[in-house]
Amino acid sequence: MSESSVPYSTHRRVQAFKGFLRQFLGHGGAQLGFVCLVCFLVLAAVPNILVGPLQTAVNATGDFLVPPSGQHLLGTDEVGRDVLNLVVHGARISLTIALLATVISLIVGATVGMTAGYFGHWADVWLMRLTDFFFVVPSFVLALVITPVVLEVMGRGRDILGFRPSIFVIIVVIGLTSWAFVARIVRSQTLSLKERTFVDRARVAGTSNLSIMLKHILPNLVPQIAANGALVVAGAIYVETSLSFLGLGDPLQPSWGTLLALAQRAGAASAGAWWYLGAPGICVLMVSLSFVLIGNALDDTFNPRRRVIP
Amino acid sequence: MTDFSKDNAPLLEVDRLSVDYSLKAVSARAIENVSFGLRAGEAVALVGESGSGKTTTAMAIAGLLSANALVSGGEVRYRGERLPIDDDAAMRPHRWSETSVVFQGAMNALNPVHRIIKQIAEPCRLKLRMSRGEATARARELLELVGIPADRGTAYPHELSGGMRQRVMIAMALACRPSIVIGDEPTTALDVITQAQILKLLGDLRSRLNLALILITHDLSVVAEACDRVMIMYSGRIVEDGTVGEIFAKPKHPYTKLLIDSIPNPAKGKRMIRPIPGDPPNLVSRPSGCAFHPRCPSAMAVCTTEVPSLDPLGCGRVACHLHQSLTQEDKIAAHA
Amino acid sequence: MPDTGDILRLENLEVHFPIQGGLFDRVLGRPAGVVRAVDGIDLTIGHGEIVALVGESGSGKTTVGRVITKLAQPTAGRLLFEGADMTSVRGLSALRPYRHHVQMIFQDAYQALNSRHTVFDIVAEPLRSLRLVENDAQLTERVSEALAAAGLNPPGDFFARFPHELSGGQRQRVVIAGALAVRPELIVADEPVSMLDVSIRAQILQVLVDLRDKHNMALLFITHDLPLAWLIADRIAVLYLGKLVEIGSADEITFNPRHPYTVALRDATPQIHTDADRSKLPALQGEVPSAARVPKGCRFHPRCPLAFDRCRQDEPPAIEVGPQHLSACWLAN
Repeated sequence: MSESSVPYSTHRRVQAFKGFLRQFLGHGGAQLGFVCLVCFLVLAAVPNILVGPLQTAVNATGDFLVPPSGQHLLGTDEVGRDVLNLVVHGARISLTIALLATVISLIVGATVGMTAGYFGHWADVWLMRLTDFFFVVPSFVLALVITPVVLEVMGRGRDILGFRPSIFVIIVVIGLTSWAFVARIVRSQTLSLKERTFVDRARVAGTSNLSIMLKHILPNLVPQIAANGALVVAGAIYVETSLSFLGLGDPLQPSWGTLLALAQRAGAASAGAWWYLGAPGICVLMVSLSFVLIGNALDDTFNPRRRVIP
Repeated sequence: MTDFSKDNAPLLEVDRLSVDYSLKAVSARAIENVSFGLRAGEAVALVGESGSGKTTTAMAIAGLLSANALVSGGEVRYRGERLPIDDDAAMRPHRWSETSVVFQGAMNALNPVHRIIKQIAEPCRLKLRMSRGEATARARELLELVGIPADRGTAYPHELSGGMRQRVMIAMALACRPSIVIGDEPTTALDVITQAQILKLLGDLRSRLNLALILITHDLSVVAEACDRVMIMYSGRIVEDGTVGEIFAKPKHPYTKLLIDSIPNPAKGKRMIRPIPGDPPNLVSRPSGCAFHPRCPSAMAVCTTEVPSLDPLGCGRVACHLHQSLTQEDKIAAHA
Repeated sequence: MPDTGDILRLENLEVHFPIQGGLFDRVLGRPAGVVRAVDGIDLTIGHGEIVALVGESGSGKTTVGRVITKLAQPTAGRLLFEGADMTSVRGLSALRPYRHHVQMIFQDAYQALNSRHTVFDIVAEPLRSLRLVENDAQLTERVSEALAAAGLNPPGDFFARFPHELSGGQRQRVVIAGALAVRPELIVADEPVSMLDVSIRAQILQVLVDLRDKHNMALLFITHDLPLAWLIADRIAVLYLGKLVEIGSADEITFNPRHPYTVALRDATPQIHTDADRSKLPALQGEVPSAARVPKGCRFHPRCPLAFDRCRQDEPPAIEVGPQHLSACWLAN
């Protein structure tokens, strides 16, 4: 039996969505974050067209540590690579890591939080102790533990699901250390949602627990998950940067954090090469800030006290 | 009863009051041309369904309209003086000391971390500038007045039942010795037996303190126990106004008749009640002419186009074309 | 199907909730208390019968409804449906046949409808979950039929609407349609009209009475309003603090109540016509005590104007005071 047997008035849904968008973009912060994010997504989507292929020490085009000029808009690094080229390619790596880590975090967090909240009792106790554990595990330590294991098992040169092992490890580590936050929020929401009468009604209608969770509880959690998802991305960008900065990144696929680490090691600060440190640093700042702004605006828009269209 | 109520000057006059709400792009008229008078010590009920404007009327009188409400016409006079009901700051000295409000479900509005005596003494201290000792003495007096032993004042709100908490709210409303108390569905969230106790208390207080009472309710049967006069509201207008006895015995407006018929009455021995067809109108899309005409069993052609005016009939008032034609004929008959 | 005459029978039904004691109590090994929400109820509902369960808040009337709809588990006693013991039947598939026959209507229609589902999905949910239809055409037909029976005409106009686009009365009709869709034999209606405007109430009551008249459906009507119960029910059961104090035909309970609590309830109900046969009993003082501290003896004795010594000692049994009229009061016989 198919689930949608009635031609839904898609018009109505489109209208509701338009109303939501209008309200969401009414926030000045949301506009700023949205525009900023779209720019970075474009950079990440087509880096080769914008700045050519990723430069390495072999095909570097410039001199060493040249300040910004007409030829190199953001100057060059210590081996003569164009910093603009590196930053644009870094956007792709950084955003991929952050978004995938967020997806893992949201899926794990929502599943654990919803299961704990809905079933309560022992499921709640044990899942929440597990959540507490992951809440306090430092991401760096976890990365140090996981990295050798992954490299040993999968082999150093092999790709894992299309990612190089070090990037895969970073994605997994960030995913594993950030879901606890999502799980706590989802659990508390589930606790209040499951007491609502429509859940009782669904039970009397003979609906299974899984179905109640997926069709009744999850759709009502979407606002919380979306708003906090944006904040998780911002956090993930930040954690990615620090992990890469500490040397866990992949030198062959430099993310912004890796660039910062390279710049620091090349003595960019003492050499006065502000463009080398500044470019990736400001990128990190701007992307995290856009996600925070979007997250706050989503939170505001979905707030039931101000919400007009459910 | 004091002399004041014997002369005919009303304590409160509501004169052709209209209030609009602005909702996003549209503006909706919540009440239109509402006029009535209230004498000292009199108990009046405003009865209507959700969206009938009964709460808006009461909030306008108390100067507690929400920010998106606009008084678009008419005025409210207290002892002959115009009340600045649309000016929050200017209304402040009048609120609570002249009119006070007991809200629906307000017993859940008590602060759970303070003892009730403190919560009653607070407005006395702030509003009447009493000292701490005086305020506490006044609070004890108020508790006794609403039937709670003064020693129970040390209790926290969660230690009291719903009915007791509603009594505390009434005590707070009486703190500044108002002459008008507005009860906005004060018994709706309570059980039948508790409701009867609270209604009895309001009646007692009314006669002891010569309070004028405006009771807002959707339940006609509550009115019979507590009020002298009833005003039936429908879609923002008063459709009938009369004494309790008259309205229940000889309702004139078709809506009032149907409302009374829809109350189960074992004494009549009739089993099933007659449903009123259709839904109450909402504020934005109000029917033309008499707002009740789409649901009215005796609607005529004129009802769809012309708004009936609220004309005196007998000792009350009624806004219905059925009776307007009658009064016209009566007038002609009287002339001839 | 054994013909017992009754569709549903509650035998000495008991629902006690444990109270979580404080940390001190647990350390000191003090026994945690129990809330005796429902404390031994016997009730039968016949085929096509409307029984009203009347009580104040805290009387346990909602809990009885939740036990019948298997949303709450009784701690003792039996729940028999068509003679079959359903007390300990649990689990989704085991309950499926029971849910097919017993449905519920909720008090607050706004809360009972998921604001993200369309009317069609809401009404179709039990049909899908209980696997009562084979294909989409059948599903659409059953949904249309249920919406029409609940008075939403034409049904097609409501399929794609969301609850917030409906009026209060229409929302309650959607809740009713959801319960009707499976063509149940018993519906538990928990205060179905108390949130509605007075002018809408009669319409909804009419829908419920029509169901009984046309489909011989039984109805347990839970309410706090005695005149309303009289209006719709064949029999009325009055509940006080988890126990039935009086049960009898609607007219007997209304015009000839034999329990002081029923009398008090009737007298407290505001009337628009002053009727002469009001008793001379003084009005009740105080409120229903907590179900965690049920008084000894007759549980009504602390508030009863007629209480005497025996009431404080022994709990009165249900005594037959008329044809099918039972009253649990020492003064009744």
